[in-house]
Amino acid sequence: MTRTYRDKDTVDFVIVGSGSSGGVMARELSRAGFNVVVMEQGPRFAPSDFEHDELKYWFGSGIVNDPSTSPQTFRRTVDSPATKSLPGQLNPIFYARMVGGSSVHFTANYWRLHPLDFKERSLLGSIPGASLEDWPISYEELEPYYTKVEWEIGVSGMAGTHPNEPPRSRPYPMPPMPVKSSGVLLERGARKLGLNPFPAPLAIASVPYRGRASCVHCGFCMGFGCEARAKSSTLYTMIPEAEATHRCEVRTESYVFRVATNPKGRVTGVHYFDAEKREHFQNAKAVILCANGAETARLLLTSAGPQFPQGLGNSSGMVGKHLMFNQSARTFGAFEHELNEYKSVQVTRVVHDFYDSDPKRGFYGGGGIDARIGPNPIIWSLKGPDGASWGRAYKDHLRTFTHTMLAASHTTSLAVETNSVSLDPEVKDAWGMPAIRTTYKDHPDDLKFAGWLQKRAAEILDAAGAKKVWDEPLAESRGGVHLLGTCRMGNDAATSVVDRFHRSHDVPNLFMCDGGSMVTSGRGQPTMTIQALAFRAAEHIGQFAKRGEI
Amino acid sequence: MDQATKSRRDFLASAGSALGIALAATHWPAIADAHSHATAAVANPEASAIVFLSAEDARDVDAMASQIVPADESPGAHEAGAVYFIDYSLRTWQAAQADNFRSGLKDFQAAFAAAHPGVRFADADSATQIAFLQSVETGGFFGAVRALTLIGLFALPQYGGNRDGIGWKLIGFNDQHAFSPPFGYYDRDYPGFTRPAAKP
Repeated sequence: MTRTYRDKDTVDFVIVGSGSSGGVMARELSRAGFNVVVMEQGPRFAPSDFEHDELKYWFGSGIVNDPSTSPQTFRRTVDSPATKSLPGQLNPIFYARMVGGSSVHFTANYWRLHPLDFKERSLLGSIPGASLEDWPISYEELEPYYTKVEWEIGVSGMAGTHPNEPPRSRPYPMPPMPVKSSGVLLERGARKLGLNPFPAPLAIASVPYRGRASCVHCGFCMGFGCEARAKSSTLYTMIPEAEATHRCEVRTESYVFRVATNPKGRVTGVHYFDAEKREHFQNAKAVILCANGAETARLLLTSAGPQFPQGLGNSSGMVGKHLMFNQSARTFGAFEHELNEYKSVQVTRVVHDFYDSDPKRGFYGGGGIDARIGPNPIIWSLKGPDGASWGRAYKDHLRTFTHTMLAASHTTSLAVETNSVSLDPEVKDAWGMPAIRTTYKDHPDDLKFAGWLQKRAAEILDAAGAKKVWDEPLAESRGGVHLLGTCRMGNDAATSVVDRFHRSHDVPNLFMCDGGSMVTSGRGQPTMTIQALAFRAAEHIGQFAKRGEI
Repeated sequence: MDQATKSRRDFLASAGSALGIALAATHWPAIADAHSHATAAVANPEASAIVFLSAEDARDVDAMASQIVPADESPGAHEAGAVYFIDYSLRTWQAAQADNFRSGLKDFQAAFAAAHPGVRFADADSATQIAFLQSVETGGFFGAVRALTLIGLFALPQYGGNRDGIGWKLIGFNDQHAFSPPFGYYDRDYPGFTRPAAKP
């Protein structure tokens, strides 16, 4: 039996969210001897609950936040009207709403940031229209925690494979996944061009690891839960290990809607709805928000009160601002023989030769290109090359499914103050709480660089011998799943939300640690960094608590 | 539908036993899960009836789907049951679009009747249908029928639009729960990753 607590018990920590960061935080703090309640708004699924049902998982709201109960609005600029998401659509900001959060349905690409990601403002100077800042921590400070993620969560990969690899203190604990045809072709094309492709680091068990089975190559990673327990989601790694301490309760279907404060300006616990929408209050000595870069910001804003009129922890006015999604671009290549990319993990080879921003290009930006599965069958079927979309010729295009691969470009988003998560003034969710309103317009450099990298991807596919190469047209962001920057970390309380230890600048016993803490976007694949930050933050928060400094 | 479900179940069962030999004991949880899915996969009676559309409307929508993915040497969207999936969708996950769909269909039929008095779209010859669809292909109604036709064709057969796995067979997708390398032609003789030689 795992430990449970009563609402009136004053636990050491309430952690809001059981996903990538919340799971890590729960395990680390419960192992350090603290009493922990993790509040999770969604349910808990068993591996056998997950299905290979593309309609349900990508077109319904299978395991993600559902517009019929959790609607959102989206607008391009502060002057344009906001459009509300409808039932049967995906929300502009969507995430897996369940124990394990989006670590359950992610693709599991685990790229470390590079040293330059932490200091691009110093390296490049300011960029018009953007709030590019250095992080208050360095790569060297975070490196031990990246290593911890690789070993504690379980990442497969190969070290020492390319000149642009960030320094590391240990090799990967598991060998890389078996290469797919897309990986062989990317490697072939990239090497012909003098580039340095390398085996993809993935949070997927390539061999049995810490009691979990290895991958069975079913091909349903991106957007799906893993039935084999091979994907290293917190659902299968950190959460059960936290519960095994008998100090941690994961309370499911418990939706925190307000963080409470006392007249001294300290948090005292959280108000939440249970599965029957009854209100409860859980007492806590400290609260850690790990609800993702959108929901953490929303919760701070809904926790406004007389002492905190702009929202809790928001004296800077920066809560919800500087939202970054990561831009991306897609280039398809069709080959003579079968690739069968629908089998196995999404990615097996990556190119990081264009990671660094280069002022000679005339715009900011950096990224990586990976070789991957084209999408699953339904999404594959909806878009083709050359504007054709139906009829006999289109049917012939559909038949190229097994011969086609995708070279995906994953790129930077600059922090722009007006790109934000805020509370919609009109739309409410099924619990009566204000909906997330997203305002987002890509910085021009983000689109320029994504387009530039897309051309490099096409060159690689050409060099690999593709019979036909085509681009999916670049598009402005209409939402995202990488939810970054909204509670940015910094030393200056006037321009950032949390300090270098993820403590609120305004409230001493309130911490925020998720994608919102990130100061810059990296080049995509942020979960690795989110979890490294969580391991680091948990260590410091535990020390603060033991020293009576919370 | 029953046949498709049965073959899926049989397929998974046989795949499971073959894999039991190939992949050894560490994989048994995944195989057990695959089996429990297979036995849970039941035919969905909701997706095998026309309820939302009238019989005449269903004929027009079916004819559109037949042109979007026509039968050639292999079956097309009509044979796969597209109209059943579309009807099912408008009663369930796309119910919010049902009124738009209905009015879009009415406008489509009125425009066709204006161009071809006395002929129903479903009864027109193929060349006439194609020419008319080309004239409306940028419109929202055509876009909705196209999207639903394709989504149904590649969704699980239990949703009604991928009968007997017709869509999956068309593209070569194998609905199996586990695979092992090599996966395709190009990774078959891969010698293993070699680190590039250090540059002088």
